[in-house]
Amino acid sequence: MIEVQGLSKSFGKLKAVQNVSFFASNGQITGLLGPNGAGKSTTLRMLYTLLKPDSGFARIDGFDVTAAPLDVQSRIGVLSDAQGLYPRLTTRENIRYFGRLHDLNGEALEKQIDQLIRLLDLESIADRRTEGFSSGERLKVAIARALVHDPGNVLLDEPTNGLDVKSTRAMRQFIHRLCDAGKCILFTSHIMQEVAALCDKIIIISNGLVSAQGTPEELLRRTGKDNLEDAFIEAIGSEEGLE
Amino acid sequence: MNKIRIIFVKEVLDSMRDYRSWSTGLFWALFGPLMMGGMLMLIGSSVRGDIEKPLNLPVQNPGNAPNLIRFLEQHDVLIEPAPADPESAVKAGDVNVVLVIPEEYGQDFSSGKSATVRLVIDSSRQSAQVDVSRIQGLLDQYSSYLGALRLVVRGVSPQVLRAVDVEAVDVATPQSQATVLISFLPYFIIFAIFNGAAPIITDTTAGERERQSLEPLLINPVPRRIFVLGKLLAAFPFSIATLGITLLGFGLIFNMLPIEEYLGIRISLNVITLILIFLTCLPIVFLASAIQMLVASFARSTKEAGTYLPFIALVPSLPSLALAFFPVKPVLWTMLIPTFGQQLLINQFMRLEPISVSNAVISTVMTLVISAGITLIAIRLYNREQIVFQKS
Repeated sequence: MIEVQGLSKSFGKLKAVQNVSFFASNGQITGLLGPNGAGKSTTLRMLYTLLKPDSGFARIDGFDVTAAPLDVQSRIGVLSDAQGLYPRLTTRENIRYFGRLHDLNGEALEKQIDQLIRLLDLESIADRRTEGFSSGERLKVAIARALVHDPGNVLLDEPTNGLDVKSTRAMRQFIHRLCDAGKCILFTSHIMQEVAALCDKIIIISNGLVSAQGTPEELLRRTGKDNLEDAFIEAIGSEEGLE
Repeated sequence: MNKIRIIFVKEVLDSMRDYRSWSTGLFWALFGPLMMGGMLMLIGSSVRGDIEKPLNLPVQNPGNAPNLIRFLEQHDVLIEPAPADPESAVKAGDVNVVLVIPEEYGQDFSSGKSATVRLVIDSSRQSAQVDVSRIQGLLDQYSSYLGALRLVVRGVSPQVLRAVDVEAVDVATPQSQATVLISFLPYFIIFAIFNGAAPIITDTTAGERERQSLEPLLINPVPRRIFVLGKLLAAFPFSIATLGITLLGFGLIFNMLPIEEYLGIRISLNVITLILIFLTCLPIVFLASAIQMLVASFARSTKEAGTYLPFIALVPSLPSLALAFFPVKPVLWTMLIPTFGQQLLINQFMRLEPISVSNAVISTVMTLVISAGITLIAIRLYNREQIVFQKS
């Protein structure tokens, strides 16, 4: 469960995020849609505690991101824009390192790693060093690593960026599965079709501001359009930076 | 504590697998001993060789002074014909020294005046010094011998000419160039400590940023100071290993080469001395890791870090340079400067001088305090959000 209230962040003169408020509940997929540079990543980075909000607050399962960052960090699984692995460690070792940093160990950790490796179809490369992995393989390892502590909230920053059609489909199925497991999913995208296909709730951001939010039906009703893509463009006011 | 260990173990394992970077570190560990061993052998052979060999001396007009020539030949000098133009031959370095005997030598000599001979030398050429001073000494000897003979002929004791008899007692050990070289030995040891830590520090800080793994790492529920400490400690075993290998290398070289015979100075690097030096240098492992971590954390890539770190490893060489030319006594203020104090202590250990325990303690404590301060600054740096999202 994620609550965001009046969140703002500036970098010098640039107002990256202004007064953003929304709510993302468990068992739902919430999408942050907006053109590149709209403030989606900055919002997410404040949620996963690496940036401090200038004003407003955000809570994850009731824990404030500024006041209790460690509690927040142990309740989120994050696939950030940066997805670097340790090339001299194997798939399993990469996942294990993050598991240990989440206070997991022993048999419980190994079982969890095995489960993720099966779930993400990583068996054939589980004990290979990650140097030279394809981008699809690297992404899967990064996901496994982010979910090793079985977090209740999953934050994904442009998770299908740079993936081929097959991997994109697999990714979408995986997001659905996480949602079915009762997790709170928040992901960002600049691809209208993706958001339309996946989301229970859509938050449209442009120039750091929330320009519209709601379920797909609510967005259609509010903009008076008969398809979601037109509704998005209406809400943002431009097609620029969208796909 | 447990998380520091997790980070430490991961970074050590990761670095151990980085075969190329630690094997480069191994080269740096052996660099000092190999270079010093090579130079000592060169100096040793040139010093010994010059004295044992008969001196080849080109002489112009040897026929003008047959007695002088006979005297020189008796003293192990081989007379050679002089080049046509002695001055340009010496200038060009073809010969070290030429003795020119003028036409009027015989005439002046017979009439009891001072007879002049000319010695063509180039005082700026270090390698000619042994030949030049040897021939000068022989000429002086010949001159005083003849002078004494003339006085005896006139019934005067030669001793009236010696109003003051100078008897030099040389307390300096000979071969001062070797001493200069030896005074760099402590620096080579410290240089090895820095270079042992550098690849690990670079990989765990700038490398982490370069391969885009820093952001995911810092999202884990671990305070930033734990990351800094774990990564810092991971550099220690590599740095300590490099220190050990370097000391072992110096130990082998100084015990295998006949240093005393080469240089006439007594340098001791026995097992106990090596252990004492090792212990004295351990605080520098902390200093080298901390200061390099601080600097590498500013670098966006390992390549950028690689341009900064060698400068840091060179800074401790400045005291060594000063030491080589202006001997400094190990007094209190020198012990307050990390790496400087240790260099003086290493020098004392090698020369078997008595060590002041308070000096050793002050130097150790001071180095540890400063290293801890640098670590705190690094932790503060890691607590800033710019550590991940810096403007590039």
